[in-house]
Amino acid sequence: MNALADQLSVGVEACDCLTPFGSAAATATALLAGRRALAFSPVLGRDGGDLVPLALLGPMDETLPPHWLARLKEMAAAIPPAAWGSARSPVIVTSSNFGVGSFYAFTRDHDPRHLAHGTPFATVDLLRADFDWGENVQVFSHACVTAHLGLAHAARLLHADLADRVLVFSFDFVSPFVAGGFHSLKILNGIMPAPYSVRETGSIGLGDGAAFAVLTRDATPFQLAAHALHNEMFHFTGNRPDGAGFAACAAAIAATTGGRRVWVKGHGTGTLEAGRLEAEVFARQFPSAPLVSWKGSLGHTLGSCGLVELAIAIAALRGSSAGAAGKIPGTVGGAAPSFTDTVALESLSSAEFDGAILTSNAFGGAHAAMLLTHD
Amino acid sequence: MTERFIHHLRVELPPATERAAEARLRLADKFPRPALRRMTHLGLLIGSVLDGAPLAPEDALVYASSFAETRALEEFLTSFPAASPLWFHASIHPGGAQQVLIGRQQPIARLWPLAGRTRLVEQALLTALLEPAARVAVVGGEERGTWMLERRVASATSFAFAAILTRQPAGAVAHVAFSPDAQSEGVCPTLQDFAQDLASRRTLNWHGIGGAWSLAWL
Repeated sequence: MNALADQLSVGVEACDCLTPFGSAAATATALLAGRRALAFSPVLGRDGGDLVPLALLGPMDETLPPHWLARLKEMAAAIPPAAWGSARSPVIVTSSNFGVGSFYAFTRDHDPRHLAHGTPFATVDLLRADFDWGENVQVFSHACVTAHLGLAHAARLLHADLADRVLVFSFDFVSPFVAGGFHSLKILNGIMPAPYSVRETGSIGLGDGAAFAVLTRDATPFQLAAHALHNEMFHFTGNRPDGAGFAACAAAIAATTGGRRVWVKGHGTGTLEAGRLEAEVFARQFPSAPLVSWKGSLGHTLGSCGLVELAIAIAALRGSSAGAAGKIPGTVGGAAPSFTDTVALESLSSAEFDGAILTSNAFGGAHAAMLLTHD
Repeated sequence: MTERFIHHLRVELPPATERAAEARLRLADKFPRPALRRMTHLGLLIGSVLDGAPLAPEDALVYASSFAETRALEEFLTSFPAASPLWFHASIHPGGAQQVLIGRQQPIARLWPLAGRTRLVEQALLTALLEPAARVAVVGGEERGTWMLERRVASATSFAFAAILTRQPAGAVAHVAFSPDAQSEGVCPTLQDFAQDLASRRTLNWHGIGGAWSLAWL
């Protein structure tokens, strides 16, 4: 296996997210308090079904216009102004769901108006019109590593001098389509996720999430210093049982850390096999780095999780409005015993670290990791 | 100027009426029998155009599709309330490319699945030009929908193409280049038109993202 990392450091000029707790700062505060956004909800929304852990900003049933549009406008108000979508200020939209829930709504009530924003490009056209973006908008969709691709591609654009600033914009809202899909895979069960915990049954939760980052070549207090990607292509919904895919990506990003003292924000959805492989590989690669996951509280925000969790990490490092400056949330929802002793259930002090590894995984054995550095 | 040379080039332009079952028969000798049964129409076409393409674990693949796994999406949507796990994961972009690579047990370093429509070809080529891998497969395609096509939210045609881009001019069949700040005439082709252009070896020039694009045949 071979996975080399991009070492194209870029500055994070602005970054925020929206979760059921609110902004990145509010979310970091809630995580530090050990709060769960997940609650048991019917898997098919108003159509009912089993109760499963979902972290929602509101009812997940699709509306006309889509309920998520107002939420995205709320978050987008914090984006620094620019001629976004112009030749030198491209936008990269990343999502795994886009407006696909609208197709489910159409099959249920046969209202053709839902079809207007079901495809990825139609969803992005809706955003372009509402946010007055130009046509330089690139769209990536690679399941749950999608946001990492957008951030890595943005760094390449900046280092090739093909852009002055890049807006990476990500969103994934839970719908009966996606909740029903994960429920059919039998990993969205009637129990709360406990990332990296040794237990009888694994389970994930799903969550609404959106985030943005404005990246620049300028030096800023927070830098995205490197990206590593690897694709196992072993199985659609499983990893190589020897953990080689996790190891390839972990080794590639480890080679970029340059002796920094790092902590690791893992993928940590709450599944057993992938969680064990992930924890064991990172414990071997970074034996002194604490491993945390926040999906036991927020659920899995799917293609957006990489950017949502980046925003939370930066907010936590900056310090929240509650005054917990430099405290990094631990693994909310986790419980001892954990797969490895590197799993941190309690919050950490950032004073011991000068970098963080943020990882995500996806169907097809896709692995992504990035190095966040700070002063 | 940023440039790459096209080596392996294959295009699939089946008749508009071709269905997955017919493609499965036509292309059967390109796939292992167990994998063949589960492949979608788009997956079969992508497998066909990647047949014989040299890809290694350190290589990258750029995959462009606006509608992607339409038939799997249609089947998954109609499987409710007993949602089908098979159709769920098959419907997720970039399933069309993944089913081929998983069938081959072919790991790759980076997979860049694009899902837009406006300037999709240009964006796929730009992604490939920025990729440091020695070999980059640029793959595109769509599959014809059924009930979603009737609602105009699916492709009306099935097609696929694959081009292996490298920095080596020797033995290349074509040359792709982007010159920032240069001017050019023409508009970026659609994904379907680009497949036709590749099949007919048509020279292309257009202006986009502040520069000039060209595809020239050698």
